[in-house]
Amino acid sequence: MSSDDELAEQLRDGDEKALRTAYERHGGAVLHLAQRLLGNRADAEDVTQLTFVAAWKGRDGYDPGRGTMLSWLLGIARRKVVDRLRSAARDDRVAESVRAQLAPPDGRETPERVVDRLLIADELSRLPEEQRRTLELAFFDDLTHPQIAAVTGLPLGTVKSHIRRGMANLRRRWEVDGAASGSRSAGSTRAL
Amino acid sequence: MQHLDPDRLVLLALSEPPGPDESDHLTTCAACRHELADLRDVAGLGAETQDVRDLPAPPEHIWRAIAADIEQEQPARRSRPRWLIPVLAAAVAIVAGVAGTVLVNRAPVTARATLAPLATVPAGAGGSARVHSDGRMQVDVRNLPLTTGFHEVWLIDPDDLTRMVAIGSLTGNRDSVLAVPPGTDLRRYRLVDVSDEPHDGDATHSGRSLLRGTLTS
Repeated sequence: MSSDDELAEQLRDGDEKALRTAYERHGGAVLHLAQRLLGNRADAEDVTQLTFVAAWKGRDGYDPGRGTMLSWLLGIARRKVVDRLRSAARDDRVAESVRAQLAPPDGRETPERVVDRLLIADELSRLPEEQRRTLELAFFDDLTHPQIAAVTGLPLGTVKSHIRRGMANLRRRWEVDGAASGSRSAGSTRAL
Repeated sequence: MQHLDPDRLVLLALSEPPGPDESDHLTTCAACRHELADLRDVAGLGAETQDVRDLPAPPEHIWRAIAADIEQEQPARRSRPRWLIPVLAAAVAIVAGVAGTVLVNRAPVTARATLAPLATVPAGAGGSARVHSDGRMQVDVRNLPLTTGFHEVWLIDPDDLTRMVAIGSLTGNRDSVLAVPPGTDLRRYRLVDVSDEPHDGDATHSGRSLLRGTLTS
């Protein structure tokens, strides 16, 4: 499996196979984001198509040093969703602002949340196997560290270090990629 | 009191309750409070990833639309889209292992194609298509995924995947003889495609291709 760096290089060289690889790897996440934000499958598929065509046309603009390919694609997809909502608002002469339409109906699910969740899932899948497994037991099964040690057979110290490093990796990716995809403002300062 | 230990903050973020001293520190120390809030955000997102870690593969028909748009962007090149090549190579690689054919058509075969499964389809699926000089096309398929709709055969222009001719539907998981509309240019419409179609009354291709192969004479 080629890394984002290699894929970016192939893309810049105009290799359509690289776009195909990006689609296979991240098309599902882009479609998921579009569907969550637009709430309808046909529009979400259109936005997915527009996103990858725009990625192809703007392939020189992707810098792997600034974030993962997924965060770059989700950033494009968000802009396409906003375009779509704006034009729908124009068509329907709806006075509501785009911001209002982007606000989640149940007051909980923001676009940022959907993007962040996809980015964290992507980063989780990239972690070393044991680190990932340990975190999943903590996240999904709500196990304590001693319980995780018992389930996995790993020493408690190893479990703790996996969790600490895994959390640090996820957090770093969240901060870097969240800024890259526009899910948080790039200039936001964080405590510490 | 010193700042809380980073390991301890991770534990607290993963829903372990803080001790009295830790609670006191957190109420007075904004730095540790913010650190804990960030870690809790990450842990919360981590728990939510369960919903998105096995997203379904993105559909082929969206890719075809993307590939068509990209082709249009490069009008100088009319060659077959590069992404098709792996599909075609796979089709060539599969040896036609069709069991004894019951139907006999005495008209000579003018073109044939080996049908290979697309990536989303179980590898055991496959088939072949033979066009006879009398305009009939015999399609043999095996191990197609079950459908609640029906399987339709198409001839597609691989240079412009939006152009296609519907040939007819297959009856069950066995041989079918279909008629190619007279005048169809098989050098252009040479990509044989078997799709899964829902009973939705929509005559256009569903986008769910199962098998493909290219006719050669």
